[in-house]
Amino acid sequence: AAARGLRLAGWRLWRGRAALQCQLYPPQRALQTSAVLRRVFNEQKKEPLTSSQHQFSSHPTNHQPEQEHQVHRPSYTGQGGQESEDYESEEQLQHRILTAALEFVPEHGWTAEAIAEGAKTLGLSVAAAGMFHSDGSDLILHFVSECNTKLSELLEQEHKLVQLGEAEKKPTDQFLKDAVEARLRMLIPYIEKWPQALSILLLPRNIPSSLNLLTSMIDDIWQYAGDQSTDFNWYTRRAVLTGIYNTTELVMLQDSSPDFEETWRFLENRVADAMSMGNAADQVRSTGEAVVQGLMGAAVTVSN
Amino acid sequence: AAALCPCGAVLARLGGPLRALCGSVRGLAAGTQTHFGFQTVTEEERRKKINQVFESVAKKYDVMNDSMTLGVHRVWKDILVHKMNPSPGTLLLDVAGGTGDIAFRFINYVRSARERQLQKKLRNHQNLSWQEISESYQEEQFKPLGDSQVVVCDINKEMLKVGKQKAQYLGYSEGLSWVLGNAEELPFDDDKFDVYTIAFGIRNVTRIDLALQEAYRVLKPGGRFLCLEFSHVSNPVISRLYDLYSFQVIPVLGEVIAGDWKSYQYLVESIRRFPPQEELKAMIEDAGFYKVDYQNLNLGIVAIHSGFKL
Repeated sequence: AAARGLRLAGWRLWRGRAALQCQLYPPQRALQTSAVLRRVFNEQKKEPLTSSQHQFSSHPTNHQPEQEHQVHRPSYTGQGGQESEDYESEEQLQHRILTAALEFVPEHGWTAEAIAEGAKTLGLSVAAAGMFHSDGSDLILHFVSECNTKLSELLEQEHKLVQLGEAEKKPTDQFLKDAVEARLRMLIPYIEKWPQALSILLLPRNIPSSLNLLTSMIDDIWQYAGDQSTDFNWYTRRAVLTGIYNTTELVMLQDSSPDFEETWRFLENRVADAMSMGNAADQVRSTGEAVVQGLMGAAVTVSN
Repeated sequence: AAALCPCGAVLARLGGPLRALCGSVRGLAAGTQTHFGFQTVTEEERRKKINQVFESVAKKYDVMNDSMTLGVHRVWKDILVHKMNPSPGTLLLDVAGGTGDIAFRFINYVRSARERQLQKKLRNHQNLSWQEISESYQEEQFKPLGDSQVVVCDINKEMLKVGKQKAQYLGYSEGLSWVLGNAEELPFDDDKFDVYTIAFGIRNVTRIDLALQEAYRVLKPGGRFLCLEFSHVSNPVISRLYDLYSFQVIPVLGEVIAGDWKSYQYLVESIRRFPPQEELKAMIEDAGFYKVDYQNLNLGIVAIHSGFKL
């Protein structure tokens, strides 16, 4: 019993020591944090051009990274990417690794091995692939978002040409067909491994991000097509185009005709279907209205 | 032995401040004060004491690990190697890896990854000549690990001896080397290794910041730092049960199985003195690592910290 009492006392005293420890740690912590801040501050002094936010910002704008690469290319000494690390954030380095990894996809598929090979070409250790998820989903999402960006730029250029009067404004169905074809053509270099990519994108973990990318791309296309609807049409248009895009993508995966002619013909037919469906919907509506009016008239006649 | 446990803690607690007073004067000459479990000792003494602890537990180290954690430590180590996801050709430095648990798991993982790699290559090249087929078989024989290597470094000779015996017994010979070295001062050149792991070892390092700096030094750019260690449980219910188990059961197990109460008392106390997850993360960031993150296993009983040299 005495031993037990002593044991309890010891336990409580140990607890008290734990409280003391908490008091001891904060002063040390302050020193550590200021060491980190100094590093960032030095980088800021070296970087009069860049904004103070960019070093550890998690969402650099599209323009800043491009500026970065142009301004700091000369300072990249190629020593395993270490020099350049003072000047760019982790996100930018990850972006570079994934871009470098894309050329290894036809050989290794959308896997961590492709990312490891990409890291090797940048002079980094293969262990850098550990920064990304091991199923290769980061690589696929990066590729999809790059393609979407390229498509946006393409559409923007065409739009500018039309505004300057140097090109004719295309009819809607032609516009949609060209946009979807341009976007799907970006898959051609990776078409062999694309089914693997689609299956990974459909994993529950990745559905939010992949759906996000898909919807923003479809939205982009409709914006440039000149859609300004504010009613339910907004949803139906996007849903229809998403359906067209997905089905055409699937057709493309098993198309073996030269330059994917079958796929583009399929696409044309689907877009035509969608257009005629729009017309049919209007006709149905006007027919419906006429029928209702006829019935009302008949009812009035009968009641009289 | 039964009286040693909490009484020892109580006496150490009372003796601590007194010793600290005299020590602060002597401390300037004998070295800075640090902790050994719940005692306060100089850094020199701490290194010596830890050396003694591991010398005495070396032979029963694996048995004790299994009995203390009820075999769960194997799962923790498996998770660590899975997280590492090493590809063939990776150079691993396993510090404080004494009995070689991580090293053996690494070799197994890389061996199966290499087999899968070779199979994929064969599948992709359907039209092989007989010459090419025989070459690929030779490759499989001569490079079953695909040039991957693991260096096991430990400060304690006894632990390394046990590790070497285990390797011989289990049949691991290739891609494995054993080096005697101090984590605070590694006997390797800069920019050498792809991955640096330290499993249940960083707790015993006297100057953790030096060990982290050394880790940063020997890693290649893009290399990864992985640390598996006992950590802080934040859930109060689990915390109480864990404390109960640690202070009441483990030293008794130590006495019964290994005949060494004090070493396991030290183990349990050192876990309590070790900095919690966020603090260790800050220390790793201070050493220069980027993308530092941690993953709690078993609600915080164990945590895996990971950082990259970018």
